[in-house]
Amino acid sequence: MERRKFLKLIGLSSLFYHSLLRDLAAAEMPLVAVAEGSDHVRTTLLALAALGGIGRFVKQGATVVVKPNMGWDRKAEQGANTNPLVVRAVVQECIRAGAKKVKVFDRTCNDERRCYVNSGIEPALKGMKNVEVKHPEEERYRKVTLNGRVLKEWELYGEALSADVYINVPVAKQHGLTRLTLGLKNAMGIMGGNRGAIHKYIDTALADINAVLRPHLTIIDATRILTAHGPQGGDLKDVRVLNKVIASTDIVAADAYATTLFGLKPADIAVTVAAYRRGLGEMDLRKVRIVKA
Amino acid sequence: MKKITSARISQIIFLIVFLILFLMTEYRGSDRIGAAVNAFFRADPLVAASTILALKGLAPLILPGLLVIAFSAILGRFFCGWICPMGTVLDLVTGKIRKTVPLIWLKGSLKYWLLLPLLVASLLNLNLAGLLDPLAILVRALTFFLHPLLGETAHSAWVGLYRLIGDRRDMLDPGYRIIRDYLLPFRETLYPLAFLSALVFVVIIWLERFESRNWCRNLCPLGTLLGLLARLSPFSRVPTSLCSDCRFCAKICHASFDREIFRKEDCILCMECRLHCPKQRVSFHLSGLKPVKGGPIMERRVFIGGLAGGLLLARLFRFRDPSVQARLLRPPGVRNEDELLKKCVRCGECMKVCLRSALYPAFFHAGIEGLYTPLLIPRLGYCEYNCTLCGQVCPTGAIPELPPEAKKREVIGRAVFDENHCIPFAKRMDCIVCEEHCPIPQKAIRTKTVTMTRFSGQQVRVRLPYVVDELCNGCGICENVCPLEGKAGIEVFSLKDKSPLLETTVEEPAEEASPYR
Repeated sequence: MERRKFLKLIGLSSLFYHSLLRDLAAAEMPLVAVAEGSDHVRTTLLALAALGGIGRFVKQGATVVVKPNMGWDRKAEQGANTNPLVVRAVVQECIRAGAKKVKVFDRTCNDERRCYVNSGIEPALKGMKNVEVKHPEEERYRKVTLNGRVLKEWELYGEALSADVYINVPVAKQHGLTRLTLGLKNAMGIMGGNRGAIHKYIDTALADINAVLRPHLTIIDATRILTAHGPQGGDLKDVRVLNKVIASTDIVAADAYATTLFGLKPADIAVTVAAYRRGLGEMDLRKVRIVKA
Repeated sequence: MKKITSARISQIIFLIVFLILFLMTEYRGSDRIGAAVNAFFRADPLVAASTILALKGLAPLILPGLLVIAFSAILGRFFCGWICPMGTVLDLVTGKIRKTVPLIWLKGSLKYWLLLPLLVASLLNLNLAGLLDPLAILVRALTFFLHPLLGETAHSAWVGLYRLIGDRRDMLDPGYRIIRDYLLPFRETLYPLAFLSALVFVVIIWLERFESRNWCRNLCPLGTLLGLLARLSPFSRVPTSLCSDCRFCAKICHASFDREIFRKEDCILCMECRLHCPKQRVSFHLSGLKPVKGGPIMERRVFIGGLAGGLLLARLFRFRDPSVQARLLRPPGVRNEDELLKKCVRCGECMKVCLRSALYPAFFHAGIEGLYTPLLIPRLGYCEYNCTLCGQVCPTGAIPELPPEAKKREVIGRAVFDENHCIPFAKRMDCIVCEEHCPIPQKAIRTKTVTMTRFSGQQVRVRLPYVVDELCNGCGICENVCPLEGKAGIEVFSLKDKSPLLETTVEEPAEEASPYR
């Protein structure tokens, strides 16, 4: 098409589509979808739809990894693991979009059999075709060169690295060391080796890891948040039911928004700041488009 | 076709049941174990006798054992010939082992020298039944040696396969899953005393070289006890000695007929002689209570010697090294060391079932008298907060069966920081992995943020952890996950007073509490 025709087309369409220019600029701004509702499955689907639907990320025949937080031997209502309904909704959407296989796993802190079962996630996914819920296997960890500021290399789970689509599904919780654990910290679930050893410089270490592992989609489960004695809680009094699900392609923006649910500012969380400084996303919520789904 | 006795069929069935129950003594997705191999221990007469003597009373758990005692007094040593899995194993392998001459020094009173001190020691509060009980020997050989060996071999093969063919191994995954979920131990565990447990088992099999059922006839304290009861039986075998014109019984009998005269305390009621007698002369029938031929059970010196032996066992080996005692941790619910030594039959069940592989057999940690009793070693495995499996499988209640809420309050020990090693104290850097993993809802490990000057001169804010004693139940996960290599920065030490935790709320200082409140 010739240049003049093109310019005429743009000019005319902007008459009819007022916000075209603004939206073009907004395409630069990361989008954070926030859905709220007591039907947690529906809320998850709304959040995904606000981002353009799962089809934007999962194509026919793709291998998908859905990485929830399943680390603790706690029940769903205790808010220490990702809500099984949220996980199932995400997995079902991936299947619907034509995924060849959806793999769900986490490297747990308590006994893996108990965590997978008592979190409610393994039972929720039982019997679903093409969905694989397995405990991580030692032989599948691969040494990955990170060349980060504090971590030169680390063993990361092969299944997560080789997947076509990696969907990060953390639960929003309080944490003694990092104050909150959200999307960025959920990456620890695919780390092998002595994870405890990175706690002395955890914000920088997590930035190193997340610089290599870039999830296509981060869905933060804020249906039930753990407000104290995290990251495993135990006392139902520490759980706050918010019925929210946050979704974004920008992991830092998602974390930044989730931080506000705890009455804190994004800059209060050192992990978020370190990731922002590394260029992994936007933490200033004024520069983020928040869509209430 | 070779004729099979009913006894042999019964033996095979019980052996299969035993092995199935053994494989089921593991966490299988439910908080409660449906059935476990402790069923065999609860019906074990030696365990029952030993525990009754130690407790000087009855424990409901071992009532099945009393039933077997009663039936043995009526029928004879049927347990050995129809039920005992060790006996079945020996019967199955003995045909393949070439026999030499029986060992003379094993015969005679040796078995009473083993049984009597054991029973007397129980009376004096030291329950050593499990050390020589055939069921316990079998469970320990399986738990500490054979099963881990099987698991390790299968797992290595599986991992090796991945290195060879990579993701194509996924095709075989369903098959491996079935094997792994039902046949193999879940967690690869290395046990101390694995060699000793295997050795004892192998020696018992090796003894078959000298005569069949060598262990059962000459050593086994359970068999010896049942033999004593068999003498009371109103059933008798006819004929009571070898027939002069045929000596076939001496050839086929597994357990008796060392001498001409048939002895009730040796006969395991396998019925082989009755089935195979060429003249059909053998029968077992009710003959009433008659005085038994064949002389007294044992000489007087053996009896007195056995009593003295038991006394020595119970009293001579009680030295405990204090530095080892400080770290001697027992399973949850075990509040009193003496109570444990009385009730624990050293069967190995709890160590098999512990899903985090936290329990290990003591060697000399608890003195020689504590051999094979369960120890918790936090650095290797911690006590999972919501789990109650060990109490469920203990056949005598040495580890009490408690509902989860009560078990969470039981104190195993108390965590103590070693500030020379713990990273925030020693290196002035943040860590608190221990606090992260503490399962107590209120957190028994808390932090205080302080300003410190690093050795480089830099001023930093560090979260210093501390233990809240009233909330800590000593589960050991903190010591287990401490990222330090070698010695952990926090360790669980044992306590004399293991009163359970009280329901209490310990307030947090305002500046450290959650901001959300």
